[in-house]
Amino acid sequence: MLKVKDLHASVDGKEILCGINLEVKAGEVHAIMGPNGSGKSTLASVLAGNEKFTVTQGEVEFEGRNLLESSIEERARMGLFLGFQYPVEIPGVTMANFMKIAVNEQRKFRGEEPLTAAEFLKLMREKAKVVELDAKLTSRAVNEGFSGGEKKKNEIFQMAMLDPKLAILDETDSGLDIDALRIVATGVTKLHTEENATVVITHYQRLLDYIVPDYVHVLYKGRIIYTGDKSLALKLEKEGYDWLINDYKE
Amino acid sequence: MELRELIRDWKQVKEQWTVSGCEEQPVVSLSPEHLTVEVAEGGAAHLVILCHEPRTSELKLHLAEGASLTVNLLFTAEAFLSLEADQEAHSSLKMTSVELGSANARLTINLRGRDAESEVNGVFLTGGEEHAELMIRTNHLAADCRSRSIARGVAGGKSVGRFEGMVYVAQDAQRTDAEQQNRNLLLSQKARIETMPQLEIYADDVKCSHGATVGQMDQEAVYYMRQRGMDEQQARRLQIVGFVGDLVMHCNEDALCDAVLKLMEQKLETM
Repeated sequence: MLKVKDLHASVDGKEILCGINLEVKAGEVHAIMGPNGSGKSTLASVLAGNEKFTVTQGEVEFEGRNLLESSIEERARMGLFLGFQYPVEIPGVTMANFMKIAVNEQRKFRGEEPLTAAEFLKLMREKAKVVELDAKLTSRAVNEGFSGGEKKKNEIFQMAMLDPKLAILDETDSGLDIDALRIVATGVTKLHTEENATVVITHYQRLLDYIVPDYVHVLYKGRIIYTGDKSLALKLEKEGYDWLINDYKE
Repeated sequence: MELRELIRDWKQVKEQWTVSGCEEQPVVSLSPEHLTVEVAEGGAAHLVILCHEPRTSELKLHLAEGASLTVNLLFTAEAFLSLEADQEAHSSLKMTSVELGSANARLTINLRGRDAESEVNGVFLTGGEEHAELMIRTNHLAADCRSRSIARGVAGGKSVGRFEGMVYVAQDAQRTDAEQQNRNLLLSQKARIETMPQLEIYADDVKCSHGATVGQMDQEAVYYMRQRGMDEQQARRLQIVGFVGDLVMHCNEDALCDAVLKLMEQKLETM
């Protein structure tokens, strides 16, 4: 589904990603871990097409297409979803209106008819349940006045609405209490199928108790320096990154 | 529904309108040159004024004790409108003003009787080389009155938008509660916003606030919307509608709000 080859990217002339290689297949869950500043969020942003970053080298193929040549919205319509670390507030734009436009844009891209108002409401009610999102929030402005937990639930709600092929979740667990973490993580698990794939970026092992990864990658100084299975996350939780980083330096 | 279609069957008023009881249906006035509206004691009414011709309009409103009036002003042509409202005790005025392009709205509200209240929501959208002005002056002349004037402007191209706000509180107007706020969005480097939020207070027991901001598009929000599948134009338009839309939604009648929103969206496509 996703093939990243030797990806280099920089911001303001400073190289953040220094040769990332990663392959994600349908049905897989990948976790990306690593110390602060290692480039985890940058990787997510570059894959989503954030224009702040410049790709200087490398290739990214998504569903057989050259991802780097596509605009942000084309990538989204192709089925790439980014769960934001800091979801943005959009005053005056209701969640319902925002989602309706987004869902119908994506349907248009796939050559499908737009949803009627009734179909859309039904879909929204159904998907709000996935993350136990208070249905009242859908009539409020996007993320405005939402608590930290509600914002993250809202990201997963949007993921449920848009049904992406590949979801990249950028520190969706940060700032969540235990209950919200369980709800958000369980929601992500419910949405996982053999046809889609999930990449979770996280600092903490506890998220991976719910979302069990097939692979755990450690990102350090813009490179994936180690890949293991789910047991790696447990080891990192206990021992930190030093043993890996020291190995890497040698 | 289109605005023209919507108002087609509404009662029209031309020079003089006197309301004695409660008028359930809104009435409309099309680019009136002179219009005097009198709402009698305890009366209630809804007036829509469409300035669709480049003309000068002069409006006088009088709200007797306990009267309430909703006024929606919409400018689709280069019109100049000056309005003066006199409010007696316990009366209530709710007004929206939407300028879609070059226009000039000068709104003066005199709170003459105790415990009267006014709420004015003004919006202008300008593009190209347009020039819109909005003046809201609220004179608190009696005690215990409340007023809110909220204005939002969006200027693109090489256009100019100007807001002039004044809350005047006379010496006798104790316990006045007044709020004045102006926020603006600049869409281009060459567009210009001028804003003058002013207070003039002679009473000593009052609560007055005023403020003005001029900002630009939130690029993070545009990125967020594009990540969900909207193109850049859509994302920008949605953000602008979000910025001014809730003020327009104050216009009491859902079908009217929707019609005005639709006109606003059409306007944005040209900006």
